[in-house]
Amino acid sequence: MSASIKAFAHGNRGVGIRNHQLILPSVICSTHVSRRIATEVGGVTFAHQHGCAIIGDDVAGIDNFFIALADHPNVNSVLVIALGCETIQGQELAAKLLESNESTQYRIIQESGGVEGTVAAGVKAAKELNAAFPPATLETTSLRIGIDVGREVSVLTELQKALQDAGHEVIISESQSSSADSFSRLAQEKAHIIISFPDENQPTSGFPLMPVINVASNGVLHQAIRADFDIDESAILNEILTLIDSVASGTQTIAEKNNSGEIRAPRVVRSV
Amino acid sequence: MTSQLFAYKRETGQWGLRNHVLILPLHSALASSARAIADASNGAVAISHDWSGEVDNDLPRILFTLTGYAANPNNYAVVFLSIGTPNEKQIIAGAQSLGLTRFTTLSLPEIGSMEKLQEKAISVANEYMKGAVAEKRIAAPWSAIVLGLECGGSDALSGITANPALGVASDRLVELGATSVLGETTEILGAEHLLAARAIDPEVGKKIVAMVARYEASINYEGIDIRGAQPSRGNIEGGLSTLEEKSLGAAKKAGNAPFTGVLEFGEKPVVPGLYFMDTPGHDIEQLAGFGAGHINVVVFTSGRGTPTGSAIMPTIKVSTNTPMFESIPDLIDLDAGTIADGVETLAQVGDRIFDEILEVANGKETKAELGGHHEFALSRMYNTVV
Repeated sequence: MSASIKAFAHGNRGVGIRNHQLILPSVICSTHVSRRIATEVGGVTFAHQHGCAIIGDDVAGIDNFFIALADHPNVNSVLVIALGCETIQGQELAAKLLESNESTQYRIIQESGGVEGTVAAGVKAAKELNAAFPPATLETTSLRIGIDVGREVSVLTELQKALQDAGHEVIISESQSSSADSFSRLAQEKAHIIISFPDENQPTSGFPLMPVINVASNGVLHQAIRADFDIDESAILNEILTLIDSVASGTQTIAEKNNSGEIRAPRVVRSV
Repeated sequence: MTSQLFAYKRETGQWGLRNHVLILPLHSALASSARAIADASNGAVAISHDWSGEVDNDLPRILFTLTGYAANPNNYAVVFLSIGTPNEKQIIAGAQSLGLTRFTTLSLPEIGSMEKLQEKAISVANEYMKGAVAEKRIAAPWSAIVLGLECGGSDALSGITANPALGVASDRLVELGATSVLGETTEILGAEHLLAARAIDPEVGKKIVAMVARYEASINYEGIDIRGAQPSRGNIEGGLSTLEEKSLGAAKKAGNAPFTGVLEFGEKPVVPGLYFMDTPGHDIEQLAGFGAGHINVVVFTSGRGTPTGSAIMPTIKVSTNTPMFESIPDLIDLDAGTIADGVETLAQVGDRIFDEILEVANGKETKAELGGHHEFALSRMYNTVV
């Protein structure tokens, strides 16, 4: 059994190991305003290029992706920042989020007096959310662990078994080339933590909502940037449970320390 | 005001209207670092994007975009953040052959960690910034201006106020020997025959029609009728009824000058004149195409209002209606709603836009620049997942 982990009760989102406030830009046009608000209130946000000029199945697909991120168990509250004329309408997105979690607000740039007006209104709303939904801690022993498999991993089966024996649920996602799409899938699957085995030709990467433990291969690139990795593959079976407990209890991974975390929404069509 | 243009001369003979030091991550995993470097530097700018070196059908388009963007004449210098892949090296070599002379490539594996990469990049960027700030503008000809014409969040007044007023300014500039580029293929669908009729010769006319047909076919190929996706919901709320109505208004940004030629996405114009570039309607993907095509100043008309800008191209926002201009004052540089209100004529607003382009070209900061809006997005022709 895993040691007891100090976690957070996040309503219908479930039990999380981070207490993130997500400042969610519903469109690329609101990413900069979202970053300013997140910086001021200590929230998390991310740049992306979606939300408008999308067609076909991607309209529902991107909308559902944003909903999944907002409903992630590591999220305590959500502030949607919309522009106003985009395809993914911020207020409709917020309404969908409110159906399952009341810790949601939204602000619209075109209706809040522009950039400065929205930053001020957004900071105020984010602080209200923080006051209304203070961290509620509890103890847990079971987590959902995502494993991003970007290369041949000889210890995969043993690792999976070790995590399951410790009481964790394991989700495996194979990545092609970079880990970006795999991370997005694991976020939608509500993994608390990701253990990433990136392709030998790929650097480490992170994700805004979930701590990513990057595992180094013996490859030339990975050993050259060993400092960006949390652990070597050769040590993982011995150390992973301790590392998971430590990260779950709040120790930042290197990707978290580096604020590394771009996201890519899966697109089945293309933008126009 | 003076009617003389002052700019930065590049070795290619092109002119920069800005002297930016650009931090360009060649892999999405370095995008957060790029932003942190720019924030910690003395005035460098950065872009972020979501390309992680994938080798797929969009690779040529992505390499072309990043190469052209790096070599935009508004860049005084570029700091490339690299993993060291052959495709990344191709971007750097390509930018060099397009005339980029001042650049430094910082290789993550050679430096050893993202933290050290950031430290090193900040000091390199600050060194370049000293040179960029010290360089003096010199008198430049009108041909130094390469103007991009863009609209986003259109409404019922777009085709009556801001777009035709921008057309007046564009015509004046083209007449003086500058270059003006109309983009957004999705937004001229249904109006292409009118543009083709203004081509300098029948060949150019055919190319305009063919380019638009190619675009629509590529969307239809996806099994989707673009005419169902455009106009957008925001456009409809703004009073637009059909894609054709939107297009007829959008095309007015290009005034009445003859079309000299067509440009592929991110292709740079070689001789002055009015061009049509094949870009998507997505405002930011389209701005990236303009940047790659060495456009050095953009005028962006909007009915609904948008904060977006570019890391390297000053972007002048023009509102189509006065209530919007007054409700979001920090997003919009000029109001063309005065035409609908009967306060100014089209020609008067056109002249104001012309004057603003010149002032901004000479260094006046736009609202988007003052607000630090540096959005960027890669345009893809294919899906990212199957």
